[in-house]
Amino acid sequence: MKKNSFVLITLLLTAVVLSSFTSVFADGKTTLVVGFDQDFPPYGFVGEDGEFTGYDLEMAAAAAEIMGLEVVYQPIAWDSKDMELDSGTIDCIWNGFTINGREDKYEWTEAYKDAGQVILVKADSDIETLEDLAGKVVAVQTDSSALEALESEDYKDLVAEFKDLLVVAQYNTAFMDLEAGAVDAIAMDLDVANFQIQDKEDQYRILDEMLQAEQYGVGFKLGNTELRDKVQSALEELVKSGKFAEISEKWFEYDSCVMSICKDEA
Amino acid sequence: MSISVMLSKLGEGMITSVLIFTLTLLFSLPLGLIVALARMSKNIILRNFTRIYISIMRGTPLMLQLLVVYFGPYYLFGISISSGYRFWAVILAFSINYAAYFAEIYRGGIESMPLGQYEAARVLGYSESQTFMKIILPQVIKRIIPAITNEVITLIKDTSLAFSIAVTEMFTVAKAIASSEKTMVSYVAAGIFYYVFNFVVAVVMESIEKKLDYYR
Amino acid sequence: MEIFSIKNAKKSFENNLEVLQDISISVSKGEVAAIIGPSGSGKSTLLRCATLLETMDSGELIYSGEKAAWNNEEGKTVYASPEKLRQIKSKFGLVFQNFNLFPHYSVLKNITDAPISIQKRKKEEVMQEAQVLLEKMGLSDKAYAYPFQLSGGQQQRVSIARALAMNPDILFFDEPTSALDPELTGEILRVIRSLAAEHMTMVIVTHEIEFARNVADRIIFIAGGVIVEEGNAESLISDPQNDRTKAFLNRLQR
Repeated sequence: MKKNSFVLITLLLTAVVLSSFTSVFADGKTTLVVGFDQDFPPYGFVGEDGEFTGYDLEMAAAAAEIMGLEVVYQPIAWDSKDMELDSGTIDCIWNGFTINGREDKYEWTEAYKDAGQVILVKADSDIETLEDLAGKVVAVQTDSSALEALESEDYKDLVAEFKDLLVVAQYNTAFMDLEAGAVDAIAMDLDVANFQIQDKEDQYRILDEMLQAEQYGVGFKLGNTELRDKVQSALEELVKSGKFAEISEKWFEYDSCVMSICKDEA
Repeated sequence: MSISVMLSKLGEGMITSVLIFTLTLLFSLPLGLIVALARMSKNIILRNFTRIYISIMRGTPLMLQLLVVYFGPYYLFGISISSGYRFWAVILAFSINYAAYFAEIYRGGIESMPLGQYEAARVLGYSESQTFMKIILPQVIKRIIPAITNEVITLIKDTSLAFSIAVTEMFTVAKAIASSEKTMVSYVAAGIFYYVFNFVVAVVMESIEKKLDYYR
Repeated sequence: MEIFSIKNAKKSFENNLEVLQDISISVSKGEVAAIIGPSGSGKSTLLRCATLLETMDSGELIYSGEKAAWNNEEGKTVYASPEKLRQIKSKFGLVFQNFNLFPHYSVLKNITDAPISIQKRKKEEVMQEAQVLLEKMGLSDKAYAYPFQLSGGQQQRVSIARALAMNPDILFFDEPTSALDPELTGEILRVIRSLAAEHMTMVIVTHEIEFARNVADRIIFIAGGVIVEEGNAESLISDPQNDRTKAFLNRLQR
């Protein structure tokens, strides 16, 4: 008699799983699912009101509105971004996503923003140039552009001089380490660094010498040029309407646009 | 961000964590018993199949199993998946993983039962299933409660693995708030939550243990 | 009237040890038979075959004229259908050496659960009978106790009551006193005697010769898987005919 209830529970479990599979097919194209790392301010993060916000997310929402789609913010585990994109659980990665070095791995919109990888140190640190990093502990986020830059041929010799290159799961812990003195410098994205030291300029500073200059774009699954083209023209419309400038001024206090259409206008 | 916004966000994450915990137990405890019985079955195919299943579940990281359960349908069978499947993939992966651990606990408990209990029941005319449900299982449960408690407490802490397939449970929310607000308060809140959750579970398990203390 | 008989029972274990070599025993109504013998003689296996806990290789098993097992043409034992065996199981009871009470059930539930849930008898009737049995066993005040709260002798009396509650035609005892302190064997002896006075048919496997002499009408001495000697309890013990019986008894009395 009790055995039957086990069978029943097993059937129930199967049914639940199957029904979640079928919901897959019901998912028609009425949404734009934006994959992003929610620990990545100011591009995508949890805002004051507890809702997701950020430069990229706001831009994505504005673009989706033009395209007549409902925007869905899907925070993802950054390590799994390719699996998420390939399997179709997200439509694009729109999250301060560096094009350089990834040109052939995704379908890209035109680069919409310049960015770079920089070194952040404590304000009272004796580190002034990249050479000064010799014998120091440098932290960097796993799977990040900064790490990619450091691992490139250009910096092979420099990194060899480091006391240690500490790969951390997220910048947040790196900041704790920096504060505690466990690391001497953090290699990270320029804008993220700027955001992190807002109101804390007396505590941190950014080295003038940049590790790498790079550009951000919206990444799509290879072959998905259809959606890429739609987003591209939506972005251009945002530039024309002035919305693009409005959003970038809100987050960076200047019009960050580097698309060809912006240069033409300038 | 105000404290109340932070708490309500953490609260949402907490509900997800508690749901993962509850549903996983709901499915894996009975499933574990079925697996244990299959593991001890006279059928050699069934026995070896469950042996391999248990060895894979215990021999590979739960995070990897989560990825396989969630992305597997696409990569292995080309079935496109949707975000709606995320949560259920977590429940499925957690359930089959924990069922393997529970199965071995059940098996240990069942095999520790003295033969005399089976023989006494047999002579009195109990059928095999009556013997199991009325005589053996209740005593097995008493014996395995401490081991089950261990796994249950591990499960609470394992719920934070759900974010590897982007299910935002408690700890992920805490992390996101910490990084956007540059504050440790959310971590402290998360820590308190996990501790209280564990504490409540420990108290519940202890009271079950006490309840079964009427015999030895 | 013949209540129980086992005929030409043979049984070997996997290591080719022949534990039972053609043993036949028959017990009639109201009789108390004691089976004695050295350890390894096969007396426990015989009891386990009789109570269907073990299967025979060859031989017949009959309870009150109903065949539980018989030989096929090749001389191998064939057992009755599971349905038939279930019926036959309610004709006998078995009291174990280690009591094997269900520890999670109260004394009362130990006694009443099988009659109610297996034999499907009326609950009130079973409860009433159980009270009578407990009184008979001197355990009226222990109905709601759990086995671990009882002494060994009390537990063994509960297990006798549990077997009796099924209203069996015959009761088997497997070394009922050997797990007990010597001073506690007396209470079990008293219970078995009072059952004998009520003409309960019983077969008792024991290695305690005094115990056998005290309760049994007939003693069957088994050694090496065969019946060496059997007869009236008093005469077999005081005047054994077979040398092996003599040796066994001598060893015990020394």
